[in-house]
Amino acid sequence: MEIYDAGDYMNNVINVNDYTVLKDLLYTKQHEWVRVEDDTVTIGISDFAQKKLKEVVYVELPEVGREVGKDESIASVESVKSVEDIYAPVSGKIVEVNETLIDAPEKVNEDPYGEGWMFKIKLSDRNELNDLLKPEEYAEFIKKEG
Amino acid sequence: MFFKTPLYEEHLKLKAHMDNFAGWIMPINYIGALREARNVRENCGVFDISHMSRIVVEGKDAIKFLNKLVAKDVIHAVENRMFGPTALLNYNGGFIDDIMLYKFSEERYMIVGNAINRFKDIDWLKNHIDEEVVNIYDYTEKLGMLAIQGPRTFELIGKHCGIDLDSLKILEYRRNVEIFGINVFLVSRSGWTGEKGVEIICNNDKIIDLWRKIIALGIKPAGLACRDVLRIEMGFCLYGNDIDEKTTPLEARYWVFDLYKEEYIGREKIWSQYINGIDRIRIGVRMKKKTPIPRHGSKIMVDGKIVGEITSGTHSPTLNRNIGIGYIDTRHAINGLPIQVDIRGRKFDGKIVEPLFITPRW
Repeated sequence: MEIYDAGDYMNNVINVNDYTVLKDLLYTKQHEWVRVEDDTVTIGISDFAQKKLKEVVYVELPEVGREVGKDESIASVESVKSVEDIYAPVSGKIVEVNETLIDAPEKVNEDPYGEGWMFKIKLSDRNELNDLLKPEEYAEFIKKEG
Repeated sequence: MFFKTPLYEEHLKLKAHMDNFAGWIMPINYIGALREARNVRENCGVFDISHMSRIVVEGKDAIKFLNKLVAKDVIHAVENRMFGPTALLNYNGGFIDDIMLYKFSEERYMIVGNAINRFKDIDWLKNHIDEEVVNIYDYTEKLGMLAIQGPRTFELIGKHCGIDLDSLKILEYRRNVEIFGINVFLVSRSGWTGEKGVEIICNNDKIIDLWRKIIALGIKPAGLACRDVLRIEMGFCLYGNDIDEKTTPLEARYWVFDLYKEEYIGREKIWSQYINGIDRIRIGVRMKKKTPIPRHGSKIMVDGKIVGEITSGTHSPTLNRNIGIGYIDTRHAINGLPIQVDIRGRKFDGKIVEPLFITPRW
């Protein structure tokens, strides 16, 4: 994981009202973010999503090795008031999950784009990345939703 | 059509997340149910509970009338002390509503009930007037209600109160009290959180000013989601979740009745269950750490067989684990019994415990 210094961080951030959107990620309309590293993507939920959920008390993660299809519900995030499904933004195979979230689900709130990452998928179809929202598009989207 | 409390705009100002609860647009949370709950348990928080029903029963036959319908003997109610919890029961001994009763005089009583049952309670009362000289008045939309709860409540608001709050024993109340220089209808030492605190009933035209003064003191607002967390920790039943028209007080282990009171609607069933026993009973469930929250409807299982069901569940910030209230067949109602809860298709470990998870400090 790259650590940004303050200057880099500020250049990397779009602020939409109270919510931050990072410029080096792609997004979905279900408020997941996608970090692309070669043929593997890391997925989590956005600042907008974690703020709406409030305190996360439980995260259900998929099994490593599982084949998943785009838009399939494969994980969930639970707060006192609700359970939200997390959808695979792309098809592929789950290669890693963030097990620290079992002991510390609050990381999803504290650091949604960093330590709150949820799982990694090895891509089976790179073209699916084109369906994801660019940061500016996602920022527009949450401006309307928020 | 939804109802709004007089404090609706104040909640918007405080950026509350609003939603429908029992037909009222209420603040569900402000900064998060768990953070608000910790604040109430450690400090002090204020709740808008104006959605609860406030129904006045007035007339020379008030006691006789109420005693037909209320499961406790109303003759024991005294002025300046809340009476209850008690209940209006249906003909099968099931809960119409669980209520608190306030005696203002021999001929004037107020029922405070659950918002969800307001019109049902009023109809039930009106439909059961036979020859009694009594009238029913709905004061819900004329008066607002707040709860200030937490160990620091008396320290923070005591000096702004015209009465010595420490002189009130639990459930005692006074009427026409000055708080922050505002004359309020009633202040009681009571609440639904298990913490020391007060409930205030105040005219609509003054309650906004009262709320603002409470907030200005630094007391943090708390929403209905927080209220739910705290009452589950206390093992209190929520109407619609843990008690309903098909649940009796014995099954709910909810002592809303006088066993030897001889005549009131529902009495037959209570007596029959007392003599013959019951088949299902309310229990608490304590989940293993790192499991999801048991939700209303989640089945309770022993060795793969369903023995009961969760009726309320939450994350307990005090215990730092998930807890629930539910019902189980009486044969398995054994404290300490390991069980599993089916949550969204997967089974998680827990155990049966008393449905009272913390020590009250009121």
